[in-house]
Amino acid sequence: MRSLLHRMNPSVKFLLITVCMFTMAFFFDPWTPLIFCVGVLLLQVLFSQVDWKKWTLFMIPFFITAFGYFWTTLVFAKESSGPIIWSIGSVGVTEIQLDHALSLSFRVLAFSSLSMLFALTTNPVTFILSLMQQLKLSPKIAYGILVGFQFLPVIKDEFIQIQQAQRLRGMFQKKNALQRLLASRLVLIPLLAGAVRKAERSAFAMEARGFTGEPRSSFFRVITVGKVDALLVALFLFVLVLSCTNTFWLS
Amino acid sequence: MLKSWKLKEIVLMSLFAVVFGIVYLLFLHIGNIWAGFVGPIAYEWIFGIWFIVSIICMYIIRKPGAAVISETIAATIEVVLGNAVGPRLILSGVIQGLGAEAVFAATRYKRFDLWVLMLAGVGSSVFSFAYGYLLGGFTVFSTGYVALMLGIRILSGALLAGVGGKAVADGLLATGSLRGYAISRPKKGDVRA
Repeated sequence: MRSLLHRMNPSVKFLLITVCMFTMAFFFDPWTPLIFCVGVLLLQVLFSQVDWKKWTLFMIPFFITAFGYFWTTLVFAKESSGPIIWSIGSVGVTEIQLDHALSLSFRVLAFSSLSMLFALTTNPVTFILSLMQQLKLSPKIAYGILVGFQFLPVIKDEFIQIQQAQRLRGMFQKKNALQRLLASRLVLIPLLAGAVRKAERSAFAMEARGFTGEPRSSFFRVITVGKVDALLVALFLFVLVLSCTNTFWLS
Repeated sequence: MLKSWKLKEIVLMSLFAVVFGIVYLLFLHIGNIWAGFVGPIAYEWIFGIWFIVSIICMYIIRKPGAAVISETIAATIEVVLGNAVGPRLILSGVIQGLGAEAVFAATRYKRFDLWVLMLAGVGSSVFSFAYGYLLGGFTVFSTGYVALMLGIRILSGALLAGVGGKAVADGLLATGSLRGYAISRPKKGDVRA
């Protein structure tokens, strides 16, 4: 039970989340995104083994963003008539404005809980392989992405090496964090030049071993779509419909 | 469309995507925190940075599709790196890439001077703004505020992505590592050819 979301087909999960997000974009009441957000969290608690400490840490910036949306909507909202129910300084807030503000902030939270669900339950390599097998992404691009992904630790090391080499030659005498951040742009070009050479080498190596990039019909690691996916899609759509129809059963 | 692409060009885009994926993530965190204080307009100033890959790759590779494919790969890699914004980034990557691609297609992939690159940044800005307008629910903001957001984003797209992208690619060209890509092919009437 607890591993269902981890076993779900990544492409199906990806499409499902996209559909949910676009549906949410058409609702401007606070309840729809709130109920949806709670529903997604519930599904995540039931069907996944997520490190909740990590989850909370990743969610903190989104809470800040949601707050930003909240007050911006209150202050810069469209003119709307109606009784003022709340006032902050000289800005009067009508009920519609408050609804919109709450709706947008809950939408940020709903989107980010969906994203966290995807990010924390999906294996990157499986995702790319699944894009190639289910969504017919060209193998040329799919393996190209995988090569880039595998180079990530190398590029990280190289970044540090270039920085140290530059420091040895006395390029950075800056002390404060902002100046050091700005100076890191000088690392960019050597890093990219290295990336160009690596790209050439690995593309050559792949072609030397017979990689043509032609679409293929059989794979070493097969990613399947099965019953688990059908079940989870049904559950998600149920939560989606439930949250979108809240006006009928809530009041 | 992919038939004319060499593998090394695709791997190049992928590796650029990794390097810029890290840069993008850095800016995203800065934007997120700033947005808490100044609202969604915080992203507009730095929005251009997210278009830079499509412009650099198109400037270097000069093939139809370079802008869309590179931006999509960059977005996918960003998701794969464990970005908390998640899968919707891929879609916004496609849309941003299409914006730049539209400008390059309008010049029939023949002109790659600074103005075209800046226009491509503007194209990305406009396309991504339309997408953000729908998903971010900007309809509830007043028209003046939305116009301000769009204006800042266009400026950011032209400067950060257009001018910045050209600067990075030219810097890279000067290192000599781009031999073998369309950018270093001699121009017509070039004596060195």
